[in-house]
Amino acid sequence: MKKVWIFLSSMRFAIILLGVLAAACAAGSFITQGQSLEWYASVYSKRTAALIVALRLDDVYHSWWFLLMALFLCGNLLACSVVRLPRVLRLTRSAADPEALLAGPATVTREGVADPEALFLAMRMPKPKRAQVSGREALVSAQNRAGYWGAWICHLGILLLILGFGLGQMTHREWVAYGVPGRTCQVGDTDYLLTIDDFRVDLRADDTVEQYTADITVRSTLTGEARSARISVNAPAELFGYKYYQNSTGWAARVTVEKDGETLQDEVLCAGEYLRVTDLPDLAVYFNAFYPDYVLLEGRGPATASGSLNNPGYLYSLYYQENLVGMNALLAGEEIKVDGYVIRFSEPRNYTVIQVKRDRFAPLALAGGLVTTLGLLLALYVQPRAVWAVRDDAGKWTVSGLSPKGGVLFAERFAEAAGDVEKQTT
Amino acid sequence: MLQTENALFTIVMVLYFAAMILYFLFIAVKKDRLATAAAAVQTAGLVLHTAALVCRGIGAGRLPLTNQYEFATSFAWGLCLVSLVFIWRFKFPMLGAFAAPVIFLVIGYAAMQSREVRELMPALRSNWLGFHVSTAIISYGAFGVSFVLSIIFLLRGSMRDQGFWDKHVPSREKLDLISYRSVSLGLLFLTFTIVTGAIWAERAWGSYWSWDPKETWSLVTWIVYAVYLHLRLRRGWRGQAAAWFAVVGFVCVMFTYVGVNTFLPGIHSYA
Ligand code: HEM
Repeated sequence: MKKVWIFLSSMRFAIILLGVLAAACAAGSFITQGQSLEWYASVYSKRTAALIVALRLDDVYHSWWFLLMALFLCGNLLACSVVRLPRVLRLTRSAADPEALLAGPATVTREGVADPEALFLAMRMPKPKRAQVSGREALVSAQNRAGYWGAWICHLGILLLILGFGLGQMTHREWVAYGVPGRTCQVGDTDYLLTIDDFRVDLRADDTVEQYTADITVRSTLTGEARSARISVNAPAELFGYKYYQNSTGWAARVTVEKDGETLQDEVLCAGEYLRVTDLPDLAVYFNAFYPDYVLLEGRGPATASGSLNNPGYLYSLYYQENLVGMNALLAGEEIKVDGYVIRFSEPRNYTVIQVKRDRFAPLALAGGLVTTLGLLLALYVQPRAVWAVRDDAGKWTVSGLSPKGGVLFAERFAEAAGDVEKQTT
Repeated sequence: MLQTENALFTIVMVLYFAAMILYFLFIAVKKDRLATAAAAVQTAGLVLHTAALVCRGIGAGRLPLTNQYEFATSFAWGLCLVSLVFIWRFKFPMLGAFAAPVIFLVIGYAAMQSREVRELMPALRSNWLGFHVSTAIISYGAFGVSFVLSIIFLLRGSMRDQGFWDKHVPSREKLDLISYRSVSLGLLFLTFTIVTGAIWAERAWGSYWSWDPKETWSLVTWIVYAVYLHLRLRRGWRGQAAAWFAVVGFVCVMFTYVGVNTFLPGIHSYA
């Protein structure tokens, strides 16, 4: 039992877990995710496809085994952090303790130093403290002890990060709403109504899009309270605890249905939507796509020559009793005539797609990321160092330095500084 | 401005090439002054390279960090900067001799990319872009230097004419520590890159992590270098094994950089 615990909290297990997780991530990036068995069979062989689905390689990042490994990593990190906390505390305390330093190992030592204080200065150490150790006079200076906390803090940050990400994955809520200005819809299954007040697409001179901006109002159906905001790409707004993102855009048009000169229906239809003729429910028109500057390219079908509304073209499909009966493009002045009904498309305009999201644990993940970064900074860039000097009977000093991370680099710097100091004193 | 940038870019390529030749001559002729001259030429190249990037930034009216060309030339700049810092800090001009071909390769890759200035799509118009990409450049530069150091480490044993090489190449123990320093720099900046990227993605795409291939591969790279750090803590894994690991890490960096765009589809594919 004890052996199992030791293994589960060991760094060896951590390295294995990290290796397998990295391999899993790589596999998930090579195998297209979220496809059907048939799809994989058409790309790979039937056997491989079956294997991919059986091993959940079609959805690596949400598979039970990926989750299990992430949980193991969390347990491993937690155990290792608990086990190591006393050690880190002890290290931080003893790193400036004269008795502990004098008794412990040194990275480098130099005997016969006449002016130890100059050496402390040359090593850019803080002013040394005087102490008596076993009846000898000693000078001790320690620096960057916070570095001992780096790995521990980094591990804590990773723990928070995984926790925040995992909880967010399990509890986040997300919907998509779309429409032209004036449209109101319910936000998912919440008690809020979203109204699109305005939507603008700013184009540059060369027809490329500079920005999409929507003005929205969200109203609580419970309290009647309403709040408005302006959102654009890279600038979402938070209203009543939900975040609203300007996500993308598409084309919509006014569609009218007439019979015998009388207008029966007058609606705004977004591309990708159906309009059912209420008078004759067997008849429906589907708005496939819109081309602001319609051209028919040989061999490639309809396209748009520019982003400007020079030659609006509406691609539609006609359905009768759920069967496709026709498909065509309508240009300016053209109309669909069927069974005495006249269907017209006009007034093209942009609709907006708004993403609504709530992830209560995103701040926890962010905190985890920041703590991880801080820990790395401490672990890698705040290197603990100590320099101490002990006076011998002849009145000379033996100066030692300790830098667990600095190794030969520290030893070289120390030797150089000691050499300089000796040159100056002679 | 963009014409000035074009001219400067050509001069920079010539300077980097000249530095590489001088470094090679230094090894062939074994005259220390050639190494000093090479480092000076490389430094001049870096200064003009910085000027070229500034010109492009002014000409385009934004940070020059948004398309393949701009990222490639900035990557070469980052490599050159980090290698010069390490040459200077560890008094190690021989590093330049091994780094110069890599720098020249990257700037050559940049030269093959389209230099057209395109307007940015709305998702890219964010201040986070600057933080995200500039930290990536330092990170990639540092990993590039750790790769070069590891190659030197792995070749160290077979370097003949010990007098010359011993004088100009540190011991394996010291090489290992210097490589560890550059991996540390790279990993810290890769962490900045991932964190700023996540914050930006949350604002632009509504999700801070979507397992997009570029994100996934930056995570794979991050894990590989984290494993490198842990392996180094175990006795017996310093040196040789760590050097191989740093090489593998850089292969991951390069795959994240070019491989992902070439082989895998994703929302990052415009950059
Ligand atoms: C992605 C995950 C991880 C990252 C990024 C990470 C990062 C780090 C860093 C930066 C260090 C300091 C290394 C150095 O000073 O050179 C470290 C040390 C260490 N890590 Fe991790 N670590 C991770 C996971 C783990 C796990 C799961 C364990 C579980 C046992 C672990 C155990 C240790 C130990 C024992 C040390 C030595 C600490 C010391 O010397 O004070 N690490 N880690």
